[in-house]
Amino acid sequence: MTAFQRDLKNFEKLNTQVLGVSSDSVATHQEFSEKYGLRFPLIADEKGKLATLYGRPGRAAFIIDKKGIVRFVHKGVPDNRVLLDELEKLRE
Amino acid sequence: MRKSVFKGLFTMALVTLSSIASHALEVGEKAPSFEAPSTLGTIRLADYLGKKDVLLAFYLADFTPV
Repeated sequence: MTAFQRDLKNFEKLNTQVLGVSSDSVATHQEFSEKYGLRFPLIADEKGKLATLYGRPGRAAFIIDKKGIVRFVHKGVPDNRVLLDELEKLRE
Repeated sequence: MRKSVFKGLFTMALVTLSSIASHALEVGEKAPSFEAPSTLGTIRLADYLGKKDVLLAFYLADFTPV
């Protein structure tokens, strides 16, 4: 998540909202966000409802366009360069 | 013969069902809408539709590397 914060301006330039999701509570997320200066929301998916909706993806990043369609799925450790490139492609 | 056909169909139905249950979302599919608590209040996917693209990043836990 700290890597997303480092590139947050670049995601914002591409009109993209970054959302982190894990099963941690809001309180833990808050502590984590404060410690690392995260300025994007962290979703508390304590019961795993969101993870189930998205097919229990494990560690994965989904790019969802303005129409609500999944445009890219990046499994594993996220790579900002790959994600930013994909977001740029959506603009072409 | 007929029995084995039914058996085959039944197995196929089971396989289909289980793949739906553990279906990982793929490119081109509609992202399931959601509403969930976050560090910046309630987040609804619908709030971003028509406005912003969303990068929804699932990760394992806070205070772990990456």
